[in-house]
Amino acid sequence: MSAAFSKRVDAALADPILKIAVERTAGTAEAKRAIAVDAFAQFEAARTRAAAIKDHVVAHLGYYLEQFETAATSAGAHVHYARTADEACKIVIDICKAAGARTVARSKSMMGEEIGLPHALAEAGIGRVETDLAEHIIQLADERPSHIVWPAMHKTSEQVSALFKQHHALPHSEETIPAMAESARRHLRQGMLGADVGISGANFLVADSGAVCTVTNEGNAELSLVPPRVHIVTAGIEKLVPSMGHAVQLLRLLARSATGATLTQYTTFYTGPKRAADPDGPDAMHIVLIDNGRSAMREDGLAEMLRCIRCGACMNHCVVFRQIGGHAYGGTYPGPMGAVLTPALDGLAASRDLPNACTLNGKCQEVCPVKIPLPTLLRGWREKSWREGLEPATMRQGIAAWAWVAQRPRLYRLAVRAAIFGMRRFGRGWIRTLPLASGWTAHRDLPAPDSESFMNRYARGER
Amino acid sequence: MSARADILGKLGTAAPPPGTAEALLADPVRPAVAGDRVATFLTALALPASGATHERIGSVAEAPAAVARYLAEHALPPAVFVPDDPRLAADWSGFALSLAITPDEPAVIAWARLGIAETGSLVFETGPHAPMLPNFLGLHHIVLLPETAIVAHLEDAALPGPQPRAHYWVTGVSGTTDIEGQYIRGAHGPRFLHVLVVGER
Repeated sequence: MSAAFSKRVDAALADPILKIAVERTAGTAEAKRAIAVDAFAQFEAARTRAAAIKDHVVAHLGYYLEQFETAATSAGAHVHYARTADEACKIVIDICKAAGARTVARSKSMMGEEIGLPHALAEAGIGRVETDLAEHIIQLADERPSHIVWPAMHKTSEQVSALFKQHHALPHSEETIPAMAESARRHLRQGMLGADVGISGANFLVADSGAVCTVTNEGNAELSLVPPRVHIVTAGIEKLVPSMGHAVQLLRLLARSATGATLTQYTTFYTGPKRAADPDGPDAMHIVLIDNGRSAMREDGLAEMLRCIRCGACMNHCVVFRQIGGHAYGGTYPGPMGAVLTPALDGLAASRDLPNACTLNGKCQEVCPVKIPLPTLLRGWREKSWREGLEPATMRQGIAAWAWVAQRPRLYRLAVRAAIFGMRRFGRGWIRTLPLASGWTAHRDLPAPDSESFMNRYARGER
Repeated sequence: MSARADILGKLGTAAPPPGTAEALLADPVRPAVAGDRVATFLTALALPASGATHERIGSVAEAPAAVARYLAEHALPPAVFVPDDPRLAADWSGFALSLAITPDEPAVIAWARLGIAETGSLVFETGPHAPMLPNFLGLHHIVLLPETAIVAHLEDAALPGPQPRAHYWVTGVSGTTDIEGQYIRGAHGPRFLHVLVVGER
């Protein structure tokens, strides 16, 4: 394990508040999802269909990109392409500068986080108002999101209260969560109405109409995107769907898998800027279509990962995520989907620990609304890390030695007998300390082996 | 090479075999809406996740009286924002009318083109007489919906032909679970949603 990852995990495990905070939100999400899935009898068939829709799009991404570009352009939007995160940020900043923007209102977008847009805006001296309540909290705390649906799930209400009192002009006087939400409502409303540019991501890009679909429960996307003069969308190229009918089938799964609702509160399809006679809406709409490694993922055996609709169910159900929270993963995306994406985005050498920090219990794949074989993809990264020699020498030599012995059955059985004899000298039932095993025994006892091996008993005819 | 040429070159732009995209629309997998669509819609609307209320009225002409009753029940003054929408033409003279939307509008009236029984959603589009911002700024969102405009499924919401700037579905009130997972109504948008189902009396 790399020192940096190990340090982050140790810090997360030692933080008693983090575990409670993560458990509250993820536990609630897990329970609500289960109820929603039970209430939708055809959920399994819907997953199969959703996976087929995404596979169809991913196989024909170029075709749908062109179709989307044509439709969006004829609706009056400007379409841009970006190969990398830096290219995407430059396009966004240039549009903001050309519009003379002093402040932008941002509606929560993981793509914005992926390309480092908050940092790019700060460098360009452009003020940024995060309008999603959770994004607002982490902006005040100067932190990164710890979950793709609940970015501030690691914060307790006491911590949120302190932040609001420090930063809001008219903060809450009562120490309740509704009063805190009200304080944020007052504070953010002016920011949204006064912004020059509104920036959003996209949950879906509808190829046949050129529409960009966003979903929120707070309504902050609409409040951030209607008043400003310019609307900029940053979207991954895998967000395409052929038509609204295809989007609808994915929307049914997205809401149920994320929050347990049948549909998000606000589902909006934006097609081009305001029309001449419209009373409100932006004068210009720009859509930045971002590759940032996605076309390479399709060729490198990660096409199935491009099905992801960012619901967060895999992390809510992950035993590792529930213990360490999102920040310990160190990338933009945490949890199982993050452990697959981060090596593709940031390089395997820097993130090879993530595919290893997984029990392969398969829960993520079971709950994934688009049936991404996450454990298989994680195993793929492990194999690649081995092939490329990224595993440390001690691990490589240890496994090589084990493999050498395991290929010689008589020697292997002899070694097992010796190990049983040796280990039982340290305890019967439970072992409290054992040489070379302090990593385990420092925090818990190790079960002592039985007096003889399975193979011995099998050879005697025990069944 | 431009980013566009580079990306499209890598991906290839060959069209999918004819009919393959359409096949993925056939027999959509969705919850059944059996029986009375209006009753199903009203049930979905009343679920805690949606948290909306409703009243059935006979015609648009009855809307002002219904709105006055609603505002009185919530101890609100008789003041509303009514967009310049011919579909909402009625005698609103009993109200103080906001001419332009203000950031803290207490009550906003709107017309929904459709209701969706499957989810209890209301369908709106922007247009010369249909602003979007008021529907998100108001604290109380009061929506007129013709009873005959309640359709079964989300697929039925699509507007044929050229699209407006925004086509949007509102399902209940603005909500958040961002602080410790606790559900709060009225995060940024409306805290109350009241639907006036307009019949044909």
